[in-house]
Amino acid sequence: MYDSTILAQILWTSTASAGFQILFTIAFALVLKVNKIWNFTQPALMGIAFYAMYVVVNPLDGPVLAGVALALVSTGAAAYGIERLAFATLRERSSGPIAFFIFTLVFAQFAIYVLTLVFTTEPRFMLKSMIWPMRLVAGVVVSDWDLLAIAIPAVLAAALYLFLRFARPGQFMIAVADNADLAEIYGIDKQAAFRLAMVIAAILITAAMYLFGARLALFPELTLHVMIFAVAATILGGIGNIFGAGVAALSISILQQFSVLVVDSRWQPLLVSALLFVAIVFFPQGVKFKRRPDADGRAGLPAMAGPPRPAE
Amino acid sequence: MNESLVTRRRALQTGLVGLGASVLLGPSAGPALAQGKEPFRFGVALPLTGSAAPFGQDQVQGLEWAVADINAQGGAGGRKLQPVIIDTQANPQIAVNVVTRLLSVERTELLITAWSAVTAAVSPIVNRNEVLALIIGANSPRIASMGDYVYTTYPLADVDVALLAKFALHEIKRKTAAVIHINDESGVYGARVFRDHFEKMGGKIVAFESYEPNATDYTGAILKLRAANPEVVHLQGNAGDSPQAVAQLRQLGLKVPITSYTAAYNPQLVAKIGSQADGLIVASLAPGKGDSPAVAKYVERWVKEKGREPNNIPVTQYVHDGTYIVKALVEHLDRQGKPLAGKNLRAAMLEVRTFDLPLTGKVTINDNHTVVKPVYLLEVKGGKFTPLKLYE
Repeated sequence: MYDSTILAQILWTSTASAGFQILFTIAFALVLKVNKIWNFTQPALMGIAFYAMYVVVNPLDGPVLAGVALALVSTGAAAYGIERLAFATLRERSSGPIAFFIFTLVFAQFAIYVLTLVFTTEPRFMLKSMIWPMRLVAGVVVSDWDLLAIAIPAVLAAALYLFLRFARPGQFMIAVADNADLAEIYGIDKQAAFRLAMVIAAILITAAMYLFGARLALFPELTLHVMIFAVAATILGGIGNIFGAGVAALSISILQQFSVLVVDSRWQPLLVSALLFVAIVFFPQGVKFKRRPDADGRAGLPAMAGPPRPAE
Repeated sequence: MNESLVTRRRALQTGLVGLGASVLLGPSAGPALAQGKEPFRFGVALPLTGSAAPFGQDQVQGLEWAVADINAQGGAGGRKLQPVIIDTQANPQIAVNVVTRLLSVERTELLITAWSAVTAAVSPIVNRNEVLALIIGANSPRIASMGDYVYTTYPLADVDVALLAKFALHEIKRKTAAVIHINDESGVYGARVFRDHFEKMGGKIVAFESYEPNATDYTGAILKLRAANPEVVHLQGNAGDSPQAVAQLRQLGLKVPITSYTAAYNPQLVAKIGSQADGLIVASLAPGKGDSPAVAKYVERWVKEKGREPNNIPVTQYVHDGTYIVKALVEHLDRQGKPLAGKNLRAAMLEVRTFDLPLTGKVTINDNHTVVKPVYLLEVKGGKFTPLKLYE
């Protein structure tokens, strides 16, 4: 029934559409891995990033780059503030995971409420035009937005990987993620690692929000819906496995778009919720594939993921 | 910009009073008592915030101008008109709350409202309270059967959407069509009208897809349309989401003509999409500025006072003219010496039945709670809406 061009189009479009979802997921998974917090303040950060760009580009008529710069600063500052003032305080008080969970949810709702008061529930477009230049490549429509949506996450994910692997602060973050107290004994400032993780998450969220806003309209409450995708992908990818979560996000997006070939499109939004349900019930540690042992008998490099620990 | 800020501020201020409703007194609240006759207060439930706010606010503006004009000329037989405006956010749940409050606290006997989902939600309330509801701008065919007190002054989808199906099949000779609609009262039932008429006339519907009202990404549904390779696409969205839907259809390579109803007749749409909107064919149910000097003057007033043309101009014309229907009903009952109660207002409407209105022309309320009006087709060419055909 479907020719190869249509299948290629769905594959291409779903890959491009996954771009911002991958970044949201990596940001969420990073904070979960390093800070050991299910960061449900992320919708608040998403809203701050979007509306910072929106204000610069629309009412102020400024350039998009200035909007992105303001979004980076404001989202980064908010993320830093959340870690410094809230999460650190909760840790100091030896609060349990439920306290972190409740705080993040309440903070997100509060921020969404404030954003709704200021910007109303009207969906807003960040850019002046909804149309991106596009071309046909072997029958597949490829827009400039698609290219950006694939390039930006690829570059940022690669940069994050290199940072975590080769840069000292990145290695410290991994050390803190593996065992914060032990890392501290070795002289690593775990609080700095927590703050850095939040700021990096803010950068990823801003980039994702740019991609989102460059194509789609947003109203404050929509950030909560978008967030569910990141949670499902993080669980499916394996808690603590940052890049596995990114791959899961890509897989869910592709699965979601290909699902239109077999089910009515109105069932599509349910797919993510169903996956979240399946992930929590059947794959609470994520989908794991058996690795072939290396020549020395080890199963490759140790995963970046460590077993989840309760919030400190 | 200032205008929308003012409206938002007013909505927020009054929204704090209760239930998220914004109860606004009309522009002529005070002087009425000086006339000796009690002013006639009527409810207006339209979206002032939310995704449909740009359209609801413009409709309210049209209504406020009409009220001001009528009151400046002595009101309805010496009785000032006084709208009590509340914000539904085009959300059925919110509408139920604010309309209940309006009828129980403000005690209005007549309500003007729009949006099909809102109409479906508030119809039981107005019927139960015997309050006359004038539905102006909603087009779900089910509105005709929503109760004794629910009347539309605006043609329902089986007028313009049925005609669009005919136009697509017979005039531009498209044998296969795909339908994409918002998953709400207006979208579901309007889309069915297109599908049923298109198939009845011999066309083939190759895809029938929907998107959720709280979504902004329609990629899945549009990919399915693309896979079906239709010769024409019919879009049954709302005013707020239609620009996004058209943009995403074009961005996913669907270059075929797109038909839609008044919801897509929106200057914001071409402003955001530009020439990519070319090939969009919309049905308007009101004369344009080239068809009527009164409409030309009305549009001039918009440009002069607001610096732009209104969003979804035909519906603003209908809402503007709705005030003249209210005026006629009040005058009719005053002449008869009857109280301005919902029951009497309904009876008055059926007695008067035909109204000659300034911006939309003559309208006759049929026994089956519908009206029939000429349909003006427009097509976007070079990033501008241009007249295409008139169906009398």
